Amino acid sequence: MRYSYKEKEVKINRREFLGFAGVIAAVLWTGAYTVTDLIVDRTKYIKMRTAGLYQDDEKQAKRQSHHNQSLLNMYKKMNFQPLSPLAEELFHTHYVDRSVL
Amino acid sequence: MPKSYQANELTGIIKIDEGKCKGCDTCKSFCPADAIDGAYGANHQIDNARCLQCGQCLVNCPFGAIEDTVDVVDQVIEKLKDSNTTVVATVAPAVRVALGEEFGMEPGKLITEQMYGALKKAGFKIMDVNFAADNTILEEGTELIHKIQKYVLNQPVEGELGPLPQFTSCCPAWVRYMELYHPSLRQHLSSAKSPQGMAGPVAKIYGAEEIWHVQPEQIFCVGVYPCTAKKLEASRPEFTAAADYWKKKGHTATYQDTDVVLTTRDLARLLKKLNIDVRNVEPAEEKDNPLAEYSGAGTIFGATGGVMEAALRTAYFVLTGEELGELRYEPVRGLKEVKTAEVPLKLKENGQEITLKIAVVHGTKNVEPLLAEIEAGNSPYHFIEVMNCPGGCVNGGGQPINPMGTSWTGKFKAILPW
Repeated sequence: MRYSYKEKEVKINRREFLGFAGVIAAVLWTGAYTVTDLIVDRTKYIKMRTAGLYQDDEKQAKRQSHHNQSLLNMYKKMNFQPLSPLAEELFHTHYVDRSVL
Repeated sequence: MPKSYQANELTGIIKIDEGKCKGCDTCKSFCPADAIDGAYGANHQIDNARCLQCGQCLVNCPFGAIEDTVDVVDQVIEKLKDSNTTVVATVAPAVRVALGEEFGMEPGKLITEQMYGALKKAGFKIMDVNFAADNTILEEGTELIHKIQKYVLNQPVEGELGPLPQFTSCCPAWVRYMELYHPSLRQHLSSAKSPQGMAGPVAKIYGAEEIWHVQPEQIFCVGVYPCTAKKLEASRPEFTAAADYWKKKGHTATYQDTDVVLTTRDLARLLKKLNIDVRNVEPAEEKDNPLAEYSGAGTIFGATGGVMEAALRTAYFVLTGEELGELRYEPVRGLKEVKTAEVPLKLKENGQEITLKIAVVHGTKNVEPLLAEIEAGNSPYHFIEVMNCPGGCVNGGGQPINPMGTSWTGKFKAILPW
């Protein structure tokens, strides 16, 4: 036979091809993922929102809870103190063992 | 009654939509309680008995396949239309720095006045949870000081006190974690309720009598939180302090202290339904509203380290008789998983010097080593703050879902020019 129409023998079998394709895809995938990770800081929005709260703190005239006059007025008007019986009733609680519920 | 829940508690708040789940396992890496079942590549499900309802999986799912099933937006709109009901919005600190994102503003933009304005336009009366946060500091701080007097200084102290170290109890996902996975250590949690737990009774007792002059039964208290676990907390059967208080005065009705909870996302949806845009609403300052007064300490509750910093400012003053010189307390700020510090204190009564040892943890899994120390009896700390969500409430499960999260598909959108 002068002309052979048979295709060249493939040196890699189907399973090996799938294996290599998989490895290459994984490498490209990881690379792309890492690039997006470098571009965008995952914690950026946490830091931005936190900065907003610290800004709110600094612009307040009073920055300690014991200087909140309206809060102190409430205790005075209702005639009780922190950890007093009424405070225990309204503002304190107990916890349950949820592992047995 | 579902396992690990009390009667009438909201349950199954967070749910994975099986039609949308790609089985990518991202949620599992954010879950603090190993509550997600399902093999890689297969549909995932949430194990409700283990779930803390914190919503970290929800805000981090790259495919938007996880949802918050408790939707009370229409119910709140109905209440707003009812002229016999005084609808009070109690708004948490972290909402004011994230609500704007839902209206196209940049993340972190502080919009307290616009938020008040939008709430007023919708028909809400306003109580700031920052007021309740200051309230929490007075109660929880006093509790800590009493414990220090009893256990460190060996002074006689009245009343029942839990052991040291004291844990903060503001974060409902963390409280549920403690109750579910370390119930034997739950006495270490501060007995003080969370700010939400305090805001309800304040609104329905002091607010009803002194501010809005209405019957407590007419108040419908809507909590607005950056948090899905707050929906569960509000439904705790023991959170009926206002109704119990009024029953002693001849009233008969029974109701929860906080009736329903909206997340930041829910509030944005409600405002949009009412055609209110925070960008062009008339800002309101609420200067004449006592329940909207708050200190800087109250507002930083929304960030990791904030409760500790707020407590320090007051505890330092009470114990030493002097104000903390520098209010920015850097050792508790920032995103390190576990932050520790030692605060030297010179007592005002006798000049004795003691060292207050503190720790701040965010991301509930990071608390395990500290719990192990307590179990072994060698914990060096007096006071430990825990927030379930990384970064604190600002990154809560009820906050706007940000394309800068782990959603890499969203990241591509963020860098495209159109």
